[in-house]
Amino acid sequence: MAFLEINNVSKKFGATEAVSDFNLHVEKGELVSFLGPSGCGKTTTLRMVAGFESPTSGRIVMNGEDITEMPPNQRDVGMVFQSYALFPNMTVADNIGFGLKVMKKSPDEIKQRVKEMLDLINMPEYTHRYPYQLSGGQQQRVALARALALRPDVLLLDEPLSALDAKIRVSLRAEIRSIQQKLGITAIYVTHDQEEALSLSDRVVVMNKGQMEQVGTPFEIYNFPTTTFVANFVGTLNAAEAEVLDPAKGLISVDGVQFISADDDLKTKRKGDKVRMSIRPERFSFASEGKKANVVDCAIENITFLGSVVRIQVRIGETNFNMDTFNNPFLELPKIGDRTQVTCSQNAVLILEE
Amino acid sequence: MSNIFGKSLTSWAFRRSQEAKPKNGIRGRLNIWAWFILLIGIVYFFLPLIATFEFSLRMVKDRYTFEAYRVAFTDPKFFLNFGYSVLWALLTIFFSTLLVVPTAYWVHWKLPKARPFVEFVTLMPFVVPAVVLTFGLIRLYGRPPIVLLGSPILLIAGYIVLSLPYMFRAVDTGLRAIDVRTLTEAALSLGAGWGTILTQVIFPNLRVAILSGVFLTFAIVMGEFTFASLLAWPAFGPYMEEIGSMRAYTPQALSVVSFLLTWASIGLLQWIGRGRGQEQVAGAH
Ligand SMILES: Nc1ncnc2c1ncn2[C@@H]1O[C@H](COP(=O)(O)OP(=O)(O)OP(=O)(O)O)[C@@H](O)[C@H]1O
Ligand SMILES: [Mg+2]
Repeated sequence: MAFLEINNVSKKFGATEAVSDFNLHVEKGELVSFLGPSGCGKTTTLRMVAGFESPTSGRIVMNGEDITEMPPNQRDVGMVFQSYALFPNMTVADNIGFGLKVMKKSPDEIKQRVKEMLDLINMPEYTHRYPYQLSGGQQQRVALARALALRPDVLLLDEPLSALDAKIRVSLRAEIRSIQQKLGITAIYVTHDQEEALSLSDRVVVMNKGQMEQVGTPFEIYNFPTTTFVANFVGTLNAAEAEVLDPAKGLISVDGVQFISADDDLKTKRKGDKVRMSIRPERFSFASEGKKANVVDCAIENITFLGSVVRIQVRIGETNFNMDTFNNPFLELPKIGDRTQVTCSQNAVLILEE
Repeated sequence: MSNIFGKSLTSWAFRRSQEAKPKNGIRGRLNIWAWFILLIGIVYFFLPLIATFEFSLRMVKDRYTFEAYRVAFTDPKFFLNFGYSVLWALLTIFFSTLLVVPTAYWVHWKLPKARPFVEFVTLMPFVVPAVVLTFGLIRLYGRPPIVLLGSPILLIAGYIVLSLPYMFRAVDTGLRAIDVRTLTEAALSLGAGWGTILTQVIFPNLRVAILSGVFLTFAIVMGEFTFASLLAWPAFGPYMEEIGSMRAYTPQALSVVSFLLTWASIGLLQWIGRGRGQEQVAGAH
């Protein structure tokens, strides 16, 4: 039995179904993130685990105990909010010690634990500061320490880094991940930032309109998206309608341009079926001598310099595809309007479910 | 008397609420007008006060003395009535705070849609005159099944109604300045119960807001006449009225004293609210 089980959970707000039939088993010590666009039900699902919303149907089981109807203040759950939510009238130490004080721990024990927590977030000298005297990043670290001080079974984080600027976001997410791994705490992390989800999760749940689209490791989600939505939301999508020419050989045609796909899903299709195919931009490269599979003619439509990466838009048949190459100042790029050839391997050509 | 208390405080509260809005940077000519209008305001406001003060000093012929003040303060009924009014004010403040803070908090946290309705209800004393309200209370509670006429409960209840618009508005503004919902949820997820949340999280963060409501309530109750008079309880308002009909100089002296008291209250409020502005989020008064 998994440590945290969310079984067939649905939540309706009046007529809108915010979450429908959500199923997830989280193992102890695992960090799972919920990734999806605004309004897809990430927060609602998290709040049901925290106990702030109660599911319309379904059960939530934590550590073998059904907690579906348990009030939030009796659950062993720590929560970190996007807006930090530190108590403005309390110092850093009092904020971190709040839960312990509620639990009626002795002052010595509280002091000891607060110190431990401050060391954990690398802020030992901030004990007596008030929240308004801290930067956003520091406030969120204190909020994390406050949530962890009670050693909860599960840590819930709802877009904890969204209010911070890009640099802090990257360093703090690494810090969160390292603290989570150090403590071996089970965590759910809500975000709409795919890079964040991919970089710190053990597994990612991609959500759309209250539904789970795909669950998998960051590697699986990125490299083998199973639905158009996932392919689209995670990374940049190159997708096109294709016609199946020969399912056994994996031969498909996009506007008359032929590709060979190694995707097993093709085996279940028949000749003449319409499918959606997709290729990640970084899987394309300029065709050099000797390459045979999936060498296609194209025209350069656009070139965008993105720093470490150069994104080139190529037209294959009637469809525009993005192609990413690493920036190399000593390599000459084609010009807009040039005609050339690009290639990709057979396993880069994915077949998506609708 | 009740006018002096009421007006000065409401105009103060109004001024404070105006300050909360961002100022625009138009200077120059507008500045002169601003000063001019301020001057008119000051003259309008202070002239009657100064006149009252001047008059109160003339009890002894051809000389300025504080005789009127001496007379006023040596009347034992002054302290008795003043003491009663302070008692009524404190009781009102206590129960009004107990009623308004949890209510306003609950409305913010669970029933935000009901806010306009609650706000409307709290406006009752502006819509229903005090006389009508008192007679309503007397009719309803003057005979069985519930007889409260002999106890001060009726008086305090009436005063609580009078204090509602000020208390609710003050607390409401304070609640808006903090993120009630998230703070509550944060406390809940840390295992806190409602008592802890109200006393450790909500009350301390509303301190300045509650105080501003408290001082307004204090001032209103101290100067109130209708309720105390019709319900026949000793209080400062009816005492002033009585003195006013019997003497010439002492009531003027009392007016000045009560005015100074109001100012002292406001000063105290400003002083307590000062310096914690950052922590308490501006606008929380
Ligand atoms: N208390 C509520 N009452 C009514 N509808 C709600 C409530 N809370 C959420 N919803 C609706 O449920 C849906 C899912 O909301 P939710 O907050 O879970 O989205 P989210 O994935 O967290 O989005 P975001 O990235 O914007 O935070 C939305 O359509 C939202 O309008
Ligand atoms: Mg959300």
